[in-house]
Amino acid sequence: MALSFDAAPVPVRDDIRQALPNVWAAIGKPGTWLTAEERVAIAAETRHAYGSDCALCAERKEALSPYAVDGEHDSLGDLPTAWIDIIHRIVSDPGRLMEHWYEQVTTNVLPDTKYVELVGVVVCTVGVDTFCRGIGMDAPDLPTPQAGEPVPETPEHLNRELAWVPTLDPHHDGPLQKEFFPGGPPTAAHIRRALTYVPATARSFWEMANTLYLNGQQMRDFDNEYRAITHAQIELVAGRVSALNQCVY
Amino acid sequence: MAFAEAAIGTDTAALDAARARVVEELGPEGLCDTAAIAALFNAIDRVADSTGIPLEEEKASLTETMREQLGINSFGRHGMEGMGQAAE
Repeated sequence: MALSFDAAPVPVRDDIRQALPNVWAAIGKPGTWLTAEERVAIAAETRHAYGSDCALCAERKEALSPYAVDGEHDSLGDLPTAWIDIIHRIVSDPGRLMEHWYEQVTTNVLPDTKYVELVGVVVCTVGVDTFCRGIGMDAPDLPTPQAGEPVPETPEHLNRELAWVPTLDPHHDGPLQKEFFPGGPPTAAHIRRALTYVPATARSFWEMANTLYLNGQQMRDFDNEYRAITHAQIELVAGRVSALNQCVY
Repeated sequence: MAFAEAAIGTDTAALDAARARVVEELGPEGLCDTAAIAALFNAIDRVADSTGIPLEEEKASLTETMREQLGINSFGRHGMEGMGQAAE
């Protein structure tokens, strides 16, 4: 059954009611580099990793270095073992992901294109599930994978120095730049660039993010409040979650 | 704060209690918006950490003193890799 907030225990804002079901359904469609089956399996493993008592994840979280601990994850087993490790690391200990790990993964496990798309599916799953859990709703059923092949797309004008992953270079005048950085380079915050190597992945993530948070103009407009909670309350929650996730960005 | 912690955790009882408190204090619309923020940052933190995007220079500059005072730089990737450099 598709994600719906019709029976949600609290009123859900109209933009969230529209966006999150779109984002969730998109996981079940063929992606840019990943098949629909792979995407749904990634979502399933993400959910499993988040809610399980994976002993390997727990041991790594306690270890001085998560890279010094080997073993097998408590997994659903529907993906290659190395993909499962990527998902579990992103879910359980994201703050200690390292560039050398990323380089090893994209050299030996899957290309950077599929890695970025995998990250997109993981984070959209985390976002949707956390929201549902937060308002007291059961997690939505996983989408049914739809038939079809991935539709590859590699953007022109990539920057390969900013981050571990290639990102769209905001200093070119192209349709993707207009879409993701509508105000030009000054609006190209690094987080806005992070998933742009796979435009459809970035598109889906920002469809979710722009409704859960505030858009750029609203975020900076401290003279007006756009939510049932204030800017200060928003940033308090945001800061606390980020601190718990050990996200230094 | 308790809701933020509970929303990203797995303790159902703690979340139920925190949710009830949020509804009492902020109303059902407040719960929706608070859950939305917790959800987004639970996701977007992982975007940042998985892709290796650095902090923007202007943000680093604005927060330099605060980060030094709080010792936050030691948690940056360069600090953790033992290079002794401040997180960018």
